[in-house]
Amino acid sequence: MIWLTWRQHRKQALYTLAGLLALAALIVPTGLSMRGTYADKGLRACLDGLRDGNLSPEASNTCMRALDAFNDQYGTLTFAGVLLLVLPLLVGLFWGAPLVARETEQGTHRLVWTQGISRRRWALVKVAAVGGFTLAVAVVYGLGTSWWMAPLMHAGQLSRFESGLFDMQGIAPIGYTLFAVALGVFAGTVWHKVLPAMGVALAGFAVLRIALTVLLRPRLMPPKVRTYLVEGNTGERGNLTGDWVLAKQVRNPDGSIVASNTEVSCPPGVTGPGGKACGADLGLQAGAYNWQQYQPGDRFWLFQSIEAGVFVALAILLFYLAIRRVRRIA
Amino acid sequence: MEYVLETDQLGKRYGGRWAVRDCTLRLPAGRVAALVGPNGAGKSTLLHMAVGLLRPDAGAVRVLGRAPYGDTELLSDIGFVAQDTPLYRDFTAAELVTMGGKLNRRWDAALARTRLAQLGLPPDRPVGKLSGGQRAQVALALALAKRPSLLLLDEPVASLDPLARREFLQALMGSVAETGATVLLSSHILADLERTCDYVVVLSASQVRLAGPTDELATSHRQLIGPRHDGGPIGGVAAVVRASHTDRQSTLLVRTDGPITDPMWTVREPSLEDTILAYLTEGDTRASHSEWGVAA
Repeated sequence: MIWLTWRQHRKQALYTLAGLLALAALIVPTGLSMRGTYADKGLRACLDGLRDGNLSPEASNTCMRALDAFNDQYGTLTFAGVLLLVLPLLVGLFWGAPLVARETEQGTHRLVWTQGISRRRWALVKVAAVGGFTLAVAVVYGLGTSWWMAPLMHAGQLSRFESGLFDMQGIAPIGYTLFAVALGVFAGTVWHKVLPAMGVALAGFAVLRIALTVLLRPRLMPPKVRTYLVEGNTGERGNLTGDWVLAKQVRNPDGSIVASNTEVSCPPGVTGPGGKACGADLGLQAGAYNWQQYQPGDRFWLFQSIEAGVFVALAILLFYLAIRRVRRIA
Repeated sequence: MEYVLETDQLGKRYGGRWAVRDCTLRLPAGRVAALVGPNGAGKSTLLHMAVGLLRPDAGAVRVLGRAPYGDTELLSDIGFVAQDTPLYRDFTAAELVTMGGKLNRRWDAALARTRLAQLGLPPDRPVGKLSGGQRAQVALALALAKRPSLLLLDEPVASLDPLARREFLQALMGSVAETGATVLLSSHILADLERTCDYVVVLSASQVRLAGPTDELATSHRQLIGPRHDGGPIGGVAAVVRASHTDRQSTLLVRTDGPITDPMWTVREPSLEDTILAYLTEGDTRASHSEWGVAA
């Protein structure tokens, strides 16, 4: 059975590994150059200094400029990274959906299920082999992108906690990949042709991923709220702590919202046009403050674990259902 | 007598429609049996239940006295060639033989290789690039290498040209003579069966209409031609299977239970094909009349 599994899927495995190598050819050189720049410019010390607030104003400015330059240089890589979000889905479509559906579509299930091994054993070996292989691929992919993105995620502007960036690194992609494969396999046991099974897996994956990302993830734990005065704020500090800001508003002391999705800062001694108080033309009264709802950056791995766990659990359930269904297909 | 395949009131339902219903059948050991019926009569469903691919919804099917569904051990005693002889098209014939060895405890790889060599099949070409007839031969070799007690073939020759069909059936007959397996072969090509089979099962509209050794069918059925017949009893006739009438003349295909001595009738021995067709037609009319809600 193991021989058969290898013989049937070796070509596909080879293509998958070639794809991983191609990905590595993109990730490794850019990752190394990013890390080189990051170290050369001393950005880590900069970042620590900015976060702790113990830099002199000049040093602080130099640091901010260096970080900006770094982000300008490499920030576009995140767009390439976002393209990688579809990789778990592709693995699910091409590894999962045909596993059973191609057999039933071509009638070969009637050949292999009438040999001297039980269907349960056939399904277990297939699921274990394909699940194990895609798990290995997903681990390499997830940890590889984490390594790749790490400097950009610690350069003061982007947070790895943000939607999109969260989804492409760490252990969450492992959960997505296993889930996509399991969904594909299961769809193939319900729809006995490859294309419909792929279509269903595609739709199911997209719907669940988007729903969980938009609806569930921000509420996994109660978000924290922080407020700080507009006046005396030394300017946007960027994202030094890796927080995931869910909502930000500028409010007057009575709690009324002046502006949403923005942050206002009036450094000490700065006045608005015409000598008015800073922010007065926006309608800000004295004592106005910024209000932010956020998930703190140190919850990143907790959220990753929860999300990976949810998807791995779903994958196990789908694999189980698929193996059960295989015994009823004729 | 020992029965290799037995079914008892066997039924299988797809949704609300019975593909096979009340099917009772006993196939004696050592026979080469034809399972005959029009498309959609339930032949494949019956074979799939016999090889454990499908679970019966009613009644029972037993192969060598055991229920095949979910019985992996029994599978090694059943050779099966599915419709359109499905094979992994990117595998070579040699790889398929290896696969059989990995998936079966009892596997006569030498037998399969010898057969394929005798047929002059290339061992190292993907079977998807072989002709339909060659693929059918590969599928047959794989089924035979299990050294099965019961060999089930689902329309193995339906898609083959006449020459390939004859070669396939010859190969089948030769190997059956060697191994002594009992064969049940479904087909709707009647002409081939007369040469190859010594037992016939007629399945029509999901039920068994007729089952028996071909020589018995030949002696127990007669075609009568005579003046128009109004349905009264005829001496020596057990049942009229099919009757067709013109204004003045009737042609009957009858099952006999004694000699027909009435000089009114011209008696002929029908061919196996005629007999089978008579049973198929009978089944057809009965089914369609009841489905349309009119009297037959």
